[in-house]
Amino acid sequence: MALSFELSDEQITFQHRVRTIAKKEVTPLVEEYERKEAFPSQLFRILGEEGLLCLRCPREYNGPGLDKVSECIFVEEINRVCAGIGSSIMVHGGLATDPVLLCGSEELKRRYLPFAARGEKIGAFAMTEPNAGSDVGGIQTTASRKGEGFLLSGTKTFITNGTICDFVTVAATTDPGRRGEGMTLFVVDRGSPGFSVTRKLKKLGNLSSDTGELSFHDCYVPQEHVIGAGKGGEVLDQTLKSGRITYGARSTGIGQAALDATFSFVTQWKRQGVPLGRSQAVRCAVAEMAVVVETMRTMTYRGAWLYDQGRASMKDASVVKLFCTESVQQIVEKAVALQKRAGLVKENPVQRFLRDARLLKIPEGTSEIQHLIIAKELGL
Amino acid sequence: MRVMDFTLSDKQKNLQWAAGEFAKGEFLPDLATELDQAGRFPESVWKKACQLGFIGIHYPREFGGAGLGIFETVLVTEALSRVDAGFANALASLDAGSEVILKFGTREQKEKILPRLTKGDLRLTVAACEAEAESAGSSDALETQKDARGYVLHGTRRLVPNAPLADRFVVPCYEPGDGRITLMVEKGQEGPKVHSVEKMGLRLTPSGDIDLGKIRVSPGNRVGQAGEGGLHLDHYHQERGLRNIAQGLGAAQGAYDRAVQYARQREQFGSRLSQFQIIRHKLAEMRAGLDVIRFVTYKAAADYDRERLTRAVLAIARMEVRKILVRIVDEALQIFGGYGYMSDQAIERCYRDAWALAAELGTEEEQKDVIADEILGPPNHLIPKK
Repeated sequence: MALSFELSDEQITFQHRVRTIAKKEVTPLVEEYERKEAFPSQLFRILGEEGLLCLRCPREYNGPGLDKVSECIFVEEINRVCAGIGSSIMVHGGLATDPVLLCGSEELKRRYLPFAARGEKIGAFAMTEPNAGSDVGGIQTTASRKGEGFLLSGTKTFITNGTICDFVTVAATTDPGRRGEGMTLFVVDRGSPGFSVTRKLKKLGNLSSDTGELSFHDCYVPQEHVIGAGKGGEVLDQTLKSGRITYGARSTGIGQAALDATFSFVTQWKRQGVPLGRSQAVRCAVAEMAVVVETMRTMTYRGAWLYDQGRASMKDASVVKLFCTESVQQIVEKAVALQKRAGLVKENPVQRFLRDARLLKIPEGTSEIQHLIIAKELGL
Repeated sequence: MRVMDFTLSDKQKNLQWAAGEFAKGEFLPDLATELDQAGRFPESVWKKACQLGFIGIHYPREFGGAGLGIFETVLVTEALSRVDAGFANALASLDAGSEVILKFGTREQKEKILPRLTKGDLRLTVAACEAEAESAGSSDALETQKDARGYVLHGTRRLVPNAPLADRFVVPCYEPGDGRITLMVEKGQEGPKVHSVEKMGLRLTPSGDIDLGKIRVSPGNRVGQAGEGGLHLDHYHQERGLRNIAQGLGAAQGAYDRAVQYARQREQFGSRLSQFQIIRHKLAEMRAGLDVIRFVTYKAAADYDRERLTRAVLAIARMEVRKILVRIVDEALQIFGGYGYMSDQAIERCYRDAWALAAELGTEEEQKDVIADEILGPPNHLIPKK
């Protein structure tokens, strides 16, 4: 097929539908839940009914069975409205359920995916530990054999949806003596004996997403809930490859929102009697924002398209994540800077964009880690 | 030949050390977290700072100060901000407007106001901001009328630091007969009304919008001469600007200190973060930035005390401090990784406070306009036609 940057008719229709639903269902919740520092859990049911959760989940498991490009369209539009809410939904339909979707047994898929896709069960993903952040191979949560299943023990932190989840996909090692060896993923139901939510975490931004700390103490997990026994690293790579492309869409959504807010600010306000938008410096700044948004969007959808063709490499995914999450900072920083004191007032969304976008350089591989992945993939 | 000397005198070093010790003893992290969440001013710490003589050290001795220069104020401000920029900003902000009284006020006004500011008996602030986009300059003045009994003010001012706490507001005004003037408004029964504003950073310095309603100000509460209001505001922005860059410098140093400490203790991949070249080079770049902004800050303050600070030199300092401050705090947070994003770590508040300080330092575009004016003269369209 010739080089084409057009969305298909279905994708365009989908984009309009998502935009309408985001405006109707999400926009009215933002202020309240940012203030409450909690996720509006009712959204899971609402989006589930609309077929807007777990977008790549096939129809046979009650999912909408869409492609990665459509998922990115959805993520961009939701994040344009609210990155905190977007973050919870993204983790549910990405990290939490992708291991099941991509590598889980048929039984496991039947047991979790339909509920997740309908929004009846909320998923979380638990990899990071107090002493294992960038160092994924350093996880200390152990899985030891117990009869037909495993006993999990350890602590997980910075877990999105941690305190509200119904199930959590947990990374643990069956071979704690050897770094990175024996990593296995387990799907654990909330309420399993030995699993507890230790606390909810307060953070800089993404306030309307839920972040918690989880503890496992001899928590029994049956054999059927195991994904990628001893080869969890490969499952994780599959999951992160998709997730890192999604970060491009998150960045694009926040960047677009910051550009929109800046545009209306510079057309409304004057400095020394002259509309801000007449200043060459301001025009250049706004133009620069537009250039970055366009570049992020192009990279993201190219990455998503490659993924749909089954051709996206980890390098492709890391390039998208690194470039977009770094670039969006320029946009939100400029948006805040231009408004001076007013940009920092709670009612002004640009300060939220700044706090929300700041997160993106950290999870699913920090910018530093993305650099190292790309260098390695290039053969260094 | 006299060699340019970049060292501080023993007296200056001792002063900076004393300020740092005070801050370490009083700016307690748990208290900071509590006040930050509530958006509350650190009353008891401020009282202590007043008792120990940290407020108004550049005021003449006869008005309750220590007779030191702005340079020394900058050193103290830097030391306080290094420990906690939120506390430091709160302590530095209750004498906003003293700049105008010090330079342009009558002896009576100075005697009545300045000693009380140093003792913590009076809280002053400047209400200069009309709207989001307005910056320092002619458009900051509030329209005012004069009659036989004095001035009548009405209107609103936005985002006034310490508005909920202040007893007096220094307000730049414009009166058709007098031209630009500076008036002091006392908070009383009839107003002004204050509406608190929630903000992202520097939450220990509560801000508010004020509604002056229709307020009467006696002629005795005019500071300086009629028509001089523009000079007053320029002077205020200059002196306050120096204190703001010192806060920015201290805040950047504080974020760097925290990042260095964390890099030394945090282990990943079996090593301390401090062993990884990526982290080492980040810290090196932060350190280089600190040296640059310390130099421009001290230079501007020293120029001021010798009465030869130009607008461009201050603008350069503001621009560089702002740029480097936000970069350093951003990198510091990144070194903390996920922990840096969580409110358990002080760096999360450092980040919010740094952005609020950056807003005080003005936009890069404004500073470049000032610097370009010095290089090229003002652009034609800004030269008033006769």
